[in-house]
Amino acid sequence: MDKGADLARIIDGCRSGDADSFAQVVDMYAGRCYGYFYRLTGDRDLSDELLSELFMKLVEKIGSYKGGAFESWLFKIASNIFHDHLRGKQRRRKLLDAHRAEVELEPDLNESRISDGSGEKLDRLQAQLHRLDADTRELIMLRFYSEMSFKEIAELRSEPIGTALSKLHRGLKKLRELMEG
Amino acid sequence: MDAMRERTRENLTELLQRFMEASAVPATDRDIQAGERILEAHPAPAPDSETITFIKAQMAMAGLRHHQWRVRVFGGSLATAAAIITIALIGLLGRGPMQGPAVSFATLLPASIWESDNLAADDLELVHFTSEIRQIEAQMQALDADESDTDVNGTLEDLENQLLAIETELWKG
Repeated sequence: MDKGADLARIIDGCRSGDADSFAQVVDMYAGRCYGYFYRLTGDRDLSDELLSELFMKLVEKIGSYKGGAFESWLFKIASNIFHDHLRGKQRRRKLLDAHRAEVELEPDLNESRISDGSGEKLDRLQAQLHRLDADTRELIMLRFYSEMSFKEIAELRSEPIGTALSKLHRGLKKLRELMEG
Repeated sequence: MDAMRERTRENLTELLQRFMEASAVPATDRDIQAGERILEAHPAPAPDSETITFIKAQMAMAGLRHHQWRVRVFGGSLATAAAIITIALIGLLGRGPMQGPAVSFATLLPASIWESDNLAADDLELVHFTSEIRQIEAQMQALDADESDTDVNGTLEDLENQLLAIETELWKG
């Protein structure tokens, strides 16, 4: 049985509420989705929460999946969850004083919040990623972790393909310069 | 790199050729590939096994609840639809040839009477009483005309009493 047929069988199982099928989807996609959230937030606990929310949404919305690229469907939900989180963060931030909000956005603090102790290289990439603007960072992560085509990414972001392509090029070029600098 | 990544690589090169000047494509492609190599060289941490176990357990419970809920809602909708269809069928079959003649209370009265406006002509008792009333009315008119009669008041009272009695009897049936 090929990979596509396997995935279709697993998705059918999910639609029936089968626990084993849900577990298989988690095994297949949890790593990539967690990487996406982690690279955008730099926070393991928060990434755990967002990942959990994503898979709970999957349970809720699997009935509305009408075929096509499952990764696109899943990462669209992931992107919406991340944006909801950002909106909530902005609302909370309004309640805090300006100084505290500044400190939260500092890359150095983000580095100190990385609690996995997985080495200098990892921390350095995370810090440099936070020097990019949020939109470009998200585009790079979406492309890297979802492996969606540019057409799919452009549709998800509601922007022309050429714009997304140009942003990705500039973002990755800047990231390389930052990492090499 | 897996097949998907290879597919998107081809897709990207083709896109660059479509959106950029041909001379700029190789350098742009190199920049993008170099950036992606950096990302590949710095993998993000994996989620904890406890987190994964917790998520799987949550999904199993939620999936069961959600599935039961869908079955309940769908089952309920099905039952409602079945009831509506049954009622509609009963209504349709009730008009069919299997049904006996429809009961109409109008058929208890002869159609000629039912449609007639002349109630007095349709009932013999009414005809009788109506003729007596007409007779008394004629007598009263005659008495009214003859004012020289000395016992006018007494006669009039008698006639009025008779008229009242007849009307009472008439309405008692």
